[in-house]
Amino acid sequence: MPPDHRDLVLRQLSPFAPAPVSSHQNQCYSCGHCFAQGPSPPVFRLPLLIAIALVIAFGGGIWSTIAALTATTGFGAIRLGAWEAFPQAQTADADPYAKSHRANAGKLLYASAEGLAFTASVDDAGQRLTGECRYSISGQTPAARFWTLFAAAPGAAPPSPAADRPSALNSRNALFREDGSFEIHASQAAAANNWLAVPAGPFRLTLTLLDTPTAGSSGVIDLSMPSIRKIGCGNV
Amino acid sequence: MSRRTALQLVLAILAGLVGAALLHLIIVLLLPQFSDRDAYTRVLAEGEIQRFWRLGEAPDKAGLAKDDPYLETAVCGFDLSETPVRIAGAKSGIPFWSLAVYDSGSNEVFSINDRTAVAGAVDVVLATPTQMTQLRKNLPASATQSILIESASTDGYVVLRALAPRQSFADGVSEFLDKATCAPFEWRSRSRF
Repeated sequence: MPPDHRDLVLRQLSPFAPAPVSSHQNQCYSCGHCFAQGPSPPVFRLPLLIAIALVIAFGGGIWSTIAALTATTGFGAIRLGAWEAFPQAQTADADPYAKSHRANAGKLLYASAEGLAFTASVDDAGQRLTGECRYSISGQTPAARFWTLFAAAPGAAPPSPAADRPSALNSRNALFREDGSFEIHASQAAAANNWLAVPAGPFRLTLTLLDTPTAGSSGVIDLSMPSIRKIGCGNV
Repeated sequence: MSRRTALQLVLAILAGLVGAALLHLIIVLLLPQFSDRDAYTRVLAEGEIQRFWRLGEAPDKAGLAKDDPYLETAVCGFDLSETPVRIAGAKSGIPFWSLAVYDSGSNEVFSINDRTAVAGAVDVVLATPTQMTQLRKNLPASATQSILIESASTDGYVVLRALAPRQSFADGVSEFLDKATCAPFEWRSRSRF
């Protein structure tokens, strides 16, 4: 079937169409317009290049923003071992990424006189915390009037204090050694002394210090957080 | 593929990467202004402002929930455009409470806990700088013990948290949060008489 005549005119007027290749036999209409037979010329080269640029710009821009906002709460973290906290995230001085993250997450953050929440999703060796393994959380917290600790799957709601399994502990119901330090066993199976029940699969620990000088200062005070040590996995 | 085509392709990819970086910056910088999932919008979605709303363990219709198993939480949106707002609560036998005031951009304006409060009771008056000048000129007797907070932003929200480390504290904490008020502070300045 011969191509439509208008199509041919357009193709010939297009500045991006190369001159007909002479080696091919040309077909001509009575009006004098001819077209080349052979491989179709790269008519759509410029639109294709623009499309590539736009796809990279929008796809890359949106993907990198989502990745940046889910990966971290922003800059200005204080890291103590496996623990991480953002003492400036709720202030007007927070960096643009922290402000963007908190606007997207919509959480009620702790103000400086309230407390500071530390989270850990890896153990001291840097391996991801998982419910298949047993962990020992031991040591002392920085100075604070109270602390609470709970384990929850990433993104899941915090456990209920009235739940059957103790997935949350606080400084009032934990058992301490004589020197004020504590040891908490985080595992799916029950353990003696302080047992923190963890969910199956990967989980995250949240240790919230209430009324702590740590929230007002970042790094001035010598801080030590409890260590998270893996004891074993499975039945070993 | 000719050398010219390859050059054009590289140019297109470079232009795309520059555009991606620009778009990334624009989204990150503008998201706080346009987000409809931020904490302030969620507090407003709880219902009427100038009253406390208790948060449950599961996210409510506004998407807010308690962030800690042992911290009972209540939120209150405020609007200072007409009158100051007074946040008051009785001193009770609970071990710990804390109050945080945020502006509409979720920036911390002020925070306090039971140790830093006067006699352990919640008594805070929030006012704009203009209202504060009038208030200080003629401080009502009922507010002499209040902590006066100047807020540059007329809109914002308040978060009141109370700690219930054991089940036996739950009733006291519930009573404390249910009786806490977040209401317009009616006072008459001398100029109105």
